[in-house]
Amino acid sequence: MVALNGSSVQELMKVDLASTSVRELNAELHAPTARRYEVHNPRGAEAIAVGLRHAIEVEIHGPAGYYCAGMNMLADVVVHGSVGTGVAENMMSGSVRVRGDASQSAGATGHGGLLVVEGSASMRCGISMKGIDIVVGGDVGPMSAFMAQAGRLVVCGDAGDGLGDSIYEARLYVRGRVGSPGADCVEKEMRDEHVAELGQLLADAGLPHDPGEFRRFGSARRLYHFAAHNSAAY
Amino acid sequence: MCGIVGLHLKNPALEPELGRLFVPMLEAMTSRGPDSAGLATYDAEGMHVIKDVGLPRDICAAHDIAARSGHQAVGHTRMATESAVTSDHAHPFTPLADLALVHNGSFSNHASIRRTLARQGIACTTDNDSEVAARFIARELTEGADLEDAMRSVLKEFDGFFTLLVTSGTQFAVLRDSFACKPAVIAETADYVAMASEYHALAELPGIGDARIVEPEPERVYAWSR
Repeated sequence: MVALNGSSVQELMKVDLASTSVRELNAELHAPTARRYEVHNPRGAEAIAVGLRHAIEVEIHGPAGYYCAGMNMLADVVVHGSVGTGVAENMMSGSVRVRGDASQSAGATGHGGLLVVEGSASMRCGISMKGIDIVVGGDVGPMSAFMAQAGRLVVCGDAGDGLGDSIYEARLYVRGRVGSPGADCVEKEMRDEHVAELGQLLADAGLPHDPGEFRRFGSARRLYHFAAHNSAAY
Repeated sequence: MCGIVGLHLKNPALEPELGRLFVPMLEAMTSRGPDSAGLATYDAEGMHVIKDVGLPRDICAAHDIAARSGHQAVGHTRMATESAVTSDHAHPFTPLADLALVHNGSFSNHASIRRTLARQGIACTTDNDSEVAARFIARELTEGADLEDAMRSVLKEFDGFFTLLVTSGTQFAVLRDSFACKPAVIAETADYVAMASEYHALAELPGIGDARIVEPEPERVYAWSR
């Protein structure tokens, strides 16, 4: 990891995607010469701020397209707008905040860090999540947290059908209605440690809800353990 | 992969601008479909169809699409996956005088539905799976269904992946399959309804910053009429 040299690094760089390509922007963000970036005129372009590896701040003013802030490590990215498919996919650390809505597969396969979607997220939010924390201010679509392995998904609105289908050990917190839990996903008791971790996640996301309004969902652990009496079926 | 765009104008004052608004939408979908493209525009005289092989930019320029007026336009950029790259295989498929269908995805049971239609005397002119859906919807409409009902029949009969945009002289309808893995986004303002595979195709439209943006839910028909 390259440390930023404080004296030779400028504080803020503004990048206008009306006159700069996404490739040029990402090359700058991969070897940053500033601590903070403002990105203007994203106009839904794909792959903005992908593959960041430095503790920089990136603010995107407008809607971003597919895979925004994918594979993020260490950086803090804010999108003042909505994002397309796969925001913060495979995030390792750092944070991504979307002030609008997110399309499908938000936070897919993420290993770490915090993804906050202040609006709603579409289908397959948190699919195959592996340690990321995702907090959604509104609703999530069907098949969210499909095969979720680790991490926490907090939904302050409603969740669509098939929530947590084939889930492993991720923990899901839903404040509103759940369309239907998926295979092997069940409602579980909210113990003190769950109230505490949910309260911390809501505080980190800057959302005012009372953890007591949420229900917890997780794995019934019937699906992913091999059972000897089922051996004839294999 | 393919790209879909559509523009349904509600404000007649925009009708002289139809082509100018529509061309950037189609060109934005070049990355999803660079091998051929097609479009249909609707005006008082009816539906006008252009299909050709090549880049959307070149096709729009060759036919001066930017100068076209009208109340509705639908377009498709194709990256062929299951049949040849020719202008006949390009979308939209237009089995009736005012019906256009564009499709992103692939149908897995189109061969059996094609045979069923053939037994009823409805022949396809290409081996493209999307044409089968167009002719299926045309049959439903000819038998008296309205467009929304015909689209729901697609859900019952067709298997596979699809985002469909289907237009008639008066209607504009969007449908996605139950997994909804082929993208779609709809923007609506007081002046227009616009649909595209990806948001950036809509980014140049007037008033897009204040538009109501919706990602269509699976298995739900979204339809507008004029």
